[in-house]
Amino acid sequence: MFRFILHRLGMAVPTLLLISVMVFALIRFIPGDPALLMLGDMADAQSLAQMRSSLGLDHSVVTQYLIWIKSVLSGDLGFSISTRQAVLPLLLERFSVSATIVLVAVALATLIAVPVGLFAAWKQNSAMDLGLVAGATLLLSIPSFWLGLLLLYAFGIKLGWLPVVGYVMFADDPLKAITYLVLPIVTLTLVEFGAIARMARASTIEVLRLDYIAHARAKGLSEGAVLWRHALRNAFAPTWTLVGLILGNLLGGIAVLETVFTLPGVGRLMVDSIFARDYPVLQGCLLLITCIYVLVNLCVDLLYPLFDPRVKL
Amino acid sequence: MSAKRTLPAEPARSVAAPARRAWRYPPLNALIGGGLLLVLIGMALLGLVWTPYEPLRLDLLARFQAPSAAHWLGTDEFGRDALSRMMMGARTSLWISLLSVSFAVVAGTLIGMLAGYLRGWTDRVLMMLNDALLAFPGILMALGIMAIIGASQYGIVLALGIAYTPSVVRVVRGSVLSLRELEFVEASRVIGNSEFYTMLRHIAPNCLAPLCVLATSMFGWALLSESALSFLGLGVPPPAATWGSMLAASRPYIASAAWLGIFPGLFISLALLAINLFGDALRDRLDPRMRK
Amino acid sequence: MHHYVKKALYFGVPTLSLCLAALTLQAGEPSLIKVGFNGDIRSTEPGVNRDENSDAFIMHIVEGLVAYREDASVGPMLAKDVTISDDGLTYTFTLREGVKFQNGKPLTAEDVKWTWQHYLDPKTQWRCLPEFDGRGVSKILDISVPEPLKVVFRIDKPNGVLLATMSRPDCGGSGIVHPDSVAADGTWIAPIGTGPFTLGQWKQGQYVELNRFKDYTPRAEAKPDGFTGNKQAFVDRVRFVVIPDAASAKAALLSGGVDVLPDVTAMDEAELKNVPGMQVRTSPVMTLGGLLFQTRDPLLGDVRIRRAVALSLDYSQMVATLSNGLSTVNNSIIPTTSAYYDATAHTGYPYDLDEARRLLKAAGYHGQPIKLIVNKRYPQMFDMGVLSQAMLQAVGVNIVLETLEWGAQLERYQSGNFQMMAFSYSPRFDAALSYESVTGNKDKEPRKVWDNPKALVLLREAQSESVAPKRQALFDQLHTLMLADVPMVMIYNGTSIGVVKAGIEGYRSWPISKPRLWGVSLAATSK
Repeated sequence: MFRFILHRLGMAVPTLLLISVMVFALIRFIPGDPALLMLGDMADAQSLAQMRSSLGLDHSVVTQYLIWIKSVLSGDLGFSISTRQAVLPLLLERFSVSATIVLVAVALATLIAVPVGLFAAWKQNSAMDLGLVAGATLLLSIPSFWLGLLLLYAFGIKLGWLPVVGYVMFADDPLKAITYLVLPIVTLTLVEFGAIARMARASTIEVLRLDYIAHARAKGLSEGAVLWRHALRNAFAPTWTLVGLILGNLLGGIAVLETVFTLPGVGRLMVDSIFARDYPVLQGCLLLITCIYVLVNLCVDLLYPLFDPRVKL
Repeated sequence: MSAKRTLPAEPARSVAAPARRAWRYPPLNALIGGGLLLVLIGMALLGLVWTPYEPLRLDLLARFQAPSAAHWLGTDEFGRDALSRMMMGARTSLWISLLSVSFAVVAGTLIGMLAGYLRGWTDRVLMMLNDALLAFPGILMALGIMAIIGASQYGIVLALGIAYTPSVVRVVRGSVLSLRELEFVEASRVIGNSEFYTMLRHIAPNCLAPLCVLATSMFGWALLSESALSFLGLGVPPPAATWGSMLAASRPYIASAAWLGIFPGLFISLALLAINLFGDALRDRLDPRMRK
Repeated sequence: MHHYVKKALYFGVPTLSLCLAALTLQAGEPSLIKVGFNGDIRSTEPGVNRDENSDAFIMHIVEGLVAYREDASVGPMLAKDVTISDDGLTYTFTLREGVKFQNGKPLTAEDVKWTWQHYLDPKTQWRCLPEFDGRGVSKILDISVPEPLKVVFRIDKPNGVLLATMSRPDCGGSGIVHPDSVAADGTWIAPIGTGPFTLGQWKQGQYVELNRFKDYTPRAEAKPDGFTGNKQAFVDRVRFVVIPDAASAKAALLSGGVDVLPDVTAMDEAELKNVPGMQVRTSPVMTLGGLLFQTRDPLLGDVRIRRAVALSLDYSQMVATLSNGLSTVNNSIIPTTSAYYDATAHTGYPYDLDEARRLLKAAGYHGQPIKLIVNKRYPQMFDMGVLSQAMLQAVGVNIVLETLEWGAQLERYQSGNFQMMAFSYSPRFDAALSYESVTGNKDKEPRKVWDNPKALVLLREAQSESVAPKRQALFDQLHTLMLADVPMVMIYNGTSIGVVKAGIEGYRSWPISKPRLWGVSLAATSK
């Protein structure tokens, strides 16, 4: 087990390095640089050169990369070009916003969707099942940003029940923070519910077909016990994988939803730092996102045997 | 963007599809999904030859008109007819999605087959690159690529195509790896066929099923990502319209001209619904386990 | 609304909180105005690592010797008066008495000298250094302090725009700060200025606050006047809330998340003015919006084609749409609000499609595509492109729009690598500065759109001239020359539209467009 973890983490190192190179190259291929953006239409050649050198952009890209890698290895992600904030605290603060929404929404979606999927599978081909599947497919098909906009319009602008914009840190004022979080979380929960419910249903049907369920039924176990003890446990494994995948992806990218709800999340930070050519921030963000992606996948794999006893690490 | 746009929602290859009844009953999802898809494609094709108004014509005196008999879906901030633009947008949106998926499928298949068949170091290096790309948030990569090459229609295709290629590579390589050990592939090699021929003749066709399933879902993601890019500020260049760019453009007016945002979103949802239903049906039909 | 303060009161250091509690009991709940900002400030250092928002913010904390008045002319601020020697080389500033820094220390001429030396030190990287070190019109040779409240600046050449440049918000208004604002090693700590507000809490990416400076010494005037006049603050706190997205900012205003939006689009104005409880404050500003040509382009090098474009645009309809009827057409580089905007500047291009067609035919144009760069960061530039494309279609000019990300467009602008682009110059507050931003030698400065030696000579004259009628004659000549050359089509000056919730009194938009929160008060009902 320990060796497995070590092996997986070791495997992640080249991936991380590659990504850092890719980011470095990608963002520097984008025309325009931070010095130009800061000076705007008033930039003359001399002040541009001065600004570039003060930002360390007058070195070659390779040198810049080596300088960056060296400081990352010593735990320093540098400072934002546009706001001069230290990147690491900035990242963590923004990430906590995105993570709160994603974790709560995905947990809620899973808690609701798994029983629903189980129920639908149990009542397979009934009108109830058809209705649930249709509902889930419908939810799956609604773009999150559109749903977010509609909810924002209804509850924020028309009814005025919830604040439309901004964010209050949970630590500053929990009650107020919740009012800002409700809509994004509801949006994300609804959208992710569809995918998870369908997966839960599909894998339960798969399990229900297997011999040992028939066997359990033949033994005279009640339907409830069959579902609970045998089906759920086994059907949850693929669903769990899906939840892991969703988590891994969402934690790195709810930029659009954050734009709709103007949340200071990490997705928005990345998009803004592309537009501002804020190289250190973007590099830091992607490093964090990739690490999380790797860690989430690792956790999913580690937890997998809990749900599927057939799998040994 | 969320996970299901960048990863198959229900991995067809690891989990059996739900509807066993596909063989016995007419596949309802295929009927509805296919029908809906045909309607949307019809709308796009009709938009090529006829629209109620010229979709690009500005009428600065008739801005922000609510839906009426003259303008079924109202007019936008330049007084252009929203329905006409929606029809024009159907074509552009579907075309962009189709091209990006094709790009990803072709590029991904080539790389995936190469990696899966050659194995060894080529495979290891390619897969490492691929994993790195997979961990890279797709929408961000697309945004970066578009910032580099500019927001042209084909810029979007390239950006989305590149962002989706890694998923295809994964699936194709997986198939190749499992196929190449099978007897008939072995046999082809034994009787002296070249590696290339074997790959083309025996392995490629057998990757088709999972690829079709993936391509269908990718089509939906492409549609969504194109809208998302518009939201983040880099969509199709004007005066072209896509549903996504129309939705994004409507955003400032959501309080005063809600119809401008509601209809494009509705059409995106309908298209996604069609694709999801159709994709379900396709998976039921193609899933290897169903053929047992 | 005031949880933050309450918390500070309840959980702060006991003695301190007792004091504060006593204060708040007297004054009632501290008043707060929330203002929407489309981005976070970059730093609190005037004129260094700054952008529009940073400038607007810092102008509440620091004040310069001189400052822009409401009509964008220059008036004294920290100075009581300014005298210029006859040869135009010596500027003597007499400081007002009794002005205090925000740390309680009195303002002296030595502080002014220290601040200016700090700005003129290249290590500071002050944005406006090139304007004063000889790279620009003139060089500051020496700053001396003959009396405790008197500062003398000596320059090497007469400079008609010296005071206007000193007042520029992007230079931080050349704000005077106390030496304690800077650490011993020269790094910036925090601004200790003389302005009506002090630096408050900065929650990066979320908001930045100002607190009222209780010992502020206002000028004797009765009312605020631009960046000068009586700048007494009436609210205890101002919070600039960061809302990057315009649609969200509007939603925030409607739902009470912010009280003031200093800059909304014309489209929003049309909508918001009908909402009960909203007041709209508009003012023309000095931004220069128009289409730039690359005169070295093989196609657009032909002045006939450029002129045909200029004649084919229905300016009144275009400007009415872009500004929702708030701005007027202006084909001149001189802003309509400028004192130099006269009848000559008012003459523009006629709308003459037949003449345009004739010119195009004469130039042998037959529908070759012309690329016009637009961006989505600034909707007015985007819309300008869309409208131009549609209008130019009528005479057969084939415009292809190319949407670039803003940074990429700036790069193209800087390198001159474009055929046409929809662009907006940030405001210059003097006509000579406006002309300077477009005129120059393309070999040396590719970003300059107008490369005409004759124009350059006229411009140099206007820059060193300080007598108004003489300058006027020069500007008139420049305008006529530019209409003939068509290196760009100026279309309009923007409008600054502020939207303020009912109950907030004294907020005004103005040509410099930066929000000002001094002189602004909350009516009792709005609580």
